[in-house]
Amino acid sequence: MSQPLLEVSDLRVEFDTYGGTVQAVRGVSFAVEPGKTLAIVGESGCGKSVTVQSIMGLTPMPPGRIRTGSARLRGVEILGRTEIDGRDIRGREIGMIFQDPMSSLNPTMTIGTQIAETLEVHWGWSRKRAFDRAVELLGMARIPEAARRARQYPFEFSGGMLQRAMIAMSIACEPAILVADEPTTALDVTIQAQILDLMGDLQRDTGMAIILITHDLGVVARMADEVAVMYAGQIVEQGSVDDVFYRSAHPYTLGLKAAMPSNEPDAEGKHKLLPIEGSPPDLFHPPVGCAYAARCPHAMRICQDQDPAAFFQSEHHFARCWLHHETAPRVEGLHRGAAARQPEASA
Amino acid sequence: MWRYTVRRLIQGIITVWFIATATFFAMHSVPGDPLTQDRAVTADIRANLEAKYGLDKPLGQQYLIFLGNLTRGDFGISFTQKNREVNDIIREHFPVSATLGILAIVFAGLGGVLWGALTALYRNRLPDVVIMFLVILGISVPSFVFAALGQLALVNLNDLLGVSLLPVAGWGTVWHMLVPSLVLGLGTMAYLTRLMRSSMLEIVNADYIRTAKAKGLPPTRIFSRHQLRNAILPVITVLGPSIAAITTGGFVVELVFAIPGLGRYFVQAVQQLDYTVIMGTTVFYGAFLVLMVIVVDLLYGVVDPRVRLE
Amino acid sequence: MAETSPTVTLNEPGAFEPLHAEQRAQVLSRPSLSYWQDAWIRLKANRRALGSLYIIIALLLFTVVGPFVWQVDPAAQDLDQISTPPGASRAATLVGPLQPWDGSTLEPDRPGLHLAEPATTQSVRLLWDPWPEAYGYRVYRNIFPVAPGEALGLPMGDTFARDQTRFEDRLDLQPRTYYYTVVALDTYGEELDRQESLEVTPNRVITIDDALARGLIAPADDRQVGDSVRLALHPLGTDYLGRDMLARLMHGARVSLFIGIAAPFLFVLFGVVYGSTAGFLGGHVDQALMRFADFVIALPFLLFMILFKIAFGIGPGESGIMPMVVAMVVLLWPATARLVRGQILQVREEGYVSAARLLGAPTGYLVMRHMIPNTMGVILVTLTFAVPSAIFTEAFLSFIGMGVAPPTPSWGSMCNEGIKTMLTYPHELIFPALLISITVLAFNLLGDGLRDALDARMRSRE
Repeated sequence: MSQPLLEVSDLRVEFDTYGGTVQAVRGVSFAVEPGKTLAIVGESGCGKSVTVQSIMGLTPMPPGRIRTGSARLRGVEILGRTEIDGRDIRGREIGMIFQDPMSSLNPTMTIGTQIAETLEVHWGWSRKRAFDRAVELLGMARIPEAARRARQYPFEFSGGMLQRAMIAMSIACEPAILVADEPTTALDVTIQAQILDLMGDLQRDTGMAIILITHDLGVVARMADEVAVMYAGQIVEQGSVDDVFYRSAHPYTLGLKAAMPSNEPDAEGKHKLLPIEGSPPDLFHPPVGCAYAARCPHAMRICQDQDPAAFFQSEHHFARCWLHHETAPRVEGLHRGAAARQPEASA
Repeated sequence: MWRYTVRRLIQGIITVWFIATATFFAMHSVPGDPLTQDRAVTADIRANLEAKYGLDKPLGQQYLIFLGNLTRGDFGISFTQKNREVNDIIREHFPVSATLGILAIVFAGLGGVLWGALTALYRNRLPDVVIMFLVILGISVPSFVFAALGQLALVNLNDLLGVSLLPVAGWGTVWHMLVPSLVLGLGTMAYLTRLMRSSMLEIVNADYIRTAKAKGLPPTRIFSRHQLRNAILPVITVLGPSIAAITTGGFVVELVFAIPGLGRYFVQAVQQLDYTVIMGTTVFYGAFLVLMVIVVDLLYGVVDPRVRLE
Repeated sequence: MAETSPTVTLNEPGAFEPLHAEQRAQVLSRPSLSYWQDAWIRLKANRRALGSLYIIIALLLFTVVGPFVWQVDPAAQDLDQISTPPGASRAATLVGPLQPWDGSTLEPDRPGLHLAEPATTQSVRLLWDPWPEAYGYRVYRNIFPVAPGEALGLPMGDTFARDQTRFEDRLDLQPRTYYYTVVALDTYGEELDRQESLEVTPNRVITIDDALARGLIAPADDRQVGDSVRLALHPLGTDYLGRDMLARLMHGARVSLFIGIAAPFLFVLFGVVYGSTAGFLGGHVDQALMRFADFVIALPFLLFMILFKIAFGIGPGESGIMPMVVAMVVLLWPATARLVRGQILQVREEGYVSAARLLGAPTGYLVMRHMIPNTMGVILVTLTFAVPSAIFTEAFLSFIGMGVAPPTPSWGSMCNEGIKTMLTYPHELIFPALLISITVLAFNLLGDGLRDALDARMRSRE
């Protein structure tokens, strides 16, 4: 296996609030390969955005604080300083787009200028040259009449157009990684598909890696190579998209799938959406055992008292769940790898 | 842009007309009139005077005459300062008040933006704490106290240096204007500083600042190109109303520093019910304020593209 | 997590038994707080706001309870102590009634400008040698040391002969240092170059009759001339008419705080009713109501305040407090009305209100359950910020002599009186100005705290 492009290990992030300290991210590790897409899935507040924003140095500190962890870009530590050799990697090595394109662009600056700015800062281009390139980039992002549009302000764009402009901006310096934080959540369904297609095409053309944050399993199925399912600040299951979808090894993943609209009828021939009962635990006081125990339909006595370790189903597929322990009862629908084993390191 | 300007001007004219009408009838409903202010006069003389000033006509007719004169820009002759045209009074004393007020608003605006940006940059550190303490003082101390303290400080400063560094009162040179306009602008400056600070701090958390960081822009560039310009917008919106506040405060400063502005004439005229002077100064001030607010709004359009193109 | 010893271990039998419903641990969740509980917790955490609240309570005590503790008539004049700063000596010497001066002196041989007898607050008697070039003399009194080229002070009087070389000053003497200057005059009464100055500090004296009349000594005390007595106590000094500053500040607080609280309360109340009516009814009614509000905003505030005052025709003995309150209410409500209308319109469009309406909630319920709680915060904050601006307005109007009529004390009118003697007796300006500033400061900080505490956006951000 080649060296991963970006390797994050044991990231822990806390926030001080007036109500106490929130442990938003509780030991997250993952790796991103060049040209591949890693999707991080989870419901609101599970820490998926905080994870990438901490890596990108976008978490306000204080109140935020990185307790432990490391993030290495091609082997160089970038956590907490976001620069390599004194130059900011943001915008240059890692581009980023956000959930709400309407508020993510400066309302008093033209679209073209905002894109050109990145090139001026990172590549030292002249204003004129950078602006011309910005027009090209807008064209690449399939914005018609790019030259005219580049001179317009964000309020003159529609939401979908703005997200295209955001993408054009984020790939201006041809970064190795594009971080997309819920890029389609604020958009119409029809626009969503276009944006995802655009990202996919650009990935094919440039060979960049994508970290895609979403709560939408449909988006995951469409885009991802690798999937990490997050719950209450931890990755509870991780593996290839096929592993996670067809060999789901965590009850939470099962729950998410059951809550997703699908074309396939269930056993009774009905299309039923099953919500996951309850709500995520309070991260002011994370539970001692498995965070999902309170909502898990298969919870066992040990789940409340001991945090489950990662049980590997195959080399690149693991789930944090006691149901994979040899003495645990079998649960229907839950994949249990033949070689389920508990790695020594992550106990 | 032009259509917007014209529309605002028409609205402004309607507002001025309304102010004039309301003032006219409010003023005439007050018991007493300018003829009975200082001395008792015989019925004959009184009738003559009333005829001379047109006060014998019905109020409605007086109002129409007033409107007719107003469209020609003629406010008539003062009742209490004999044979002095109201236009002359305005021409002589208004530039003084306007200079004072505009200097004050410039002080307040520049100071407010500067201090506000500074406090936001040094949030919760010493410069922020010191400036915000002064700002709270500035908001809590009445303008006349500032005026008095300003004058006291000048007296002491001149005493201390043994030379007359800055004049303590009066009007004429730039040196006369310095302290009064600073004193006049102080309260507004404090208010604008607060506004600028909170605006800056709100924008620190804005999504587009996060985007700018994610683009890897250096902090200085984020501050100057993204934060500052957007933070100034709310400050500009309140500049218009601030001009009105400064005009009102101007009366006190003119009083304390013995500045021959229009304010003193205005207060005096109201006390003596000098109809023509009241109407003249009110309409003139009203028009000036309305115009300033329009100018500020047009200025806003220059800074904020969203407004410009509407 | 790791340090807490688990109750169930891996090797324990039954560790992997499914949990029954009753075995499940209760999900820990924070107790939910109501809007106002949460706001109160935030306010309590804000030290500045809480301090301001205490200051406001102290001010109210000062106003309401103060006059019962310090029972001094704010209109009573103490002529022995005029413009006395706080902490000044209260000692006075008893003297007999003033005797006319026949020109006699205790120091007959002394040359130059000198005192004929020790200076008292009853009289200062100056004597000097005749100057050959003088055809008369003019006497000046100054409270600052006489410097070359500077004014000599107050001209006290002239004499019209070379040998008229004495002068008696009995004008409003205070126990402080005066600088007398005698200037030679020519035949036409023009001043010549020759002048001589003398520094004099009169001792405070009081006649036995006066002391008896003011209750400083009792007839039974049998005090003699030369005995010393202590004058009445004025903790914060007296003003230019010898009135007790503390008593005046307390009574002035009543006026200032009454105007400062009653007027905002009324105009905010009216603005709320007006604005919510406009916002709730909407359409043409809303348009018409708001156009009217816009016009009222455009009225020149100062002019109409003064016109109101004149229209009310404040007669003798009236304080002018009510006209001021009425004028403020009539002129200041539109800002609140606009704000409340905007808020109501905003809430009306919220999804939860539409939802409630779709579910058939009656209008009364909508208003009580959604409109009022969601606008209450804004209204409260507006009210808190309206108080300092009303206090400012009162002070400002009284300062330019258009507000509360004398002799009724208010902080603004006290400032107005104090500023005239600012250079010599700064305490007459400083105390009322300080009280205005503290009050305004306290309400401003409380308003800030309330706004932060009630602002839901802030809550989600932190």
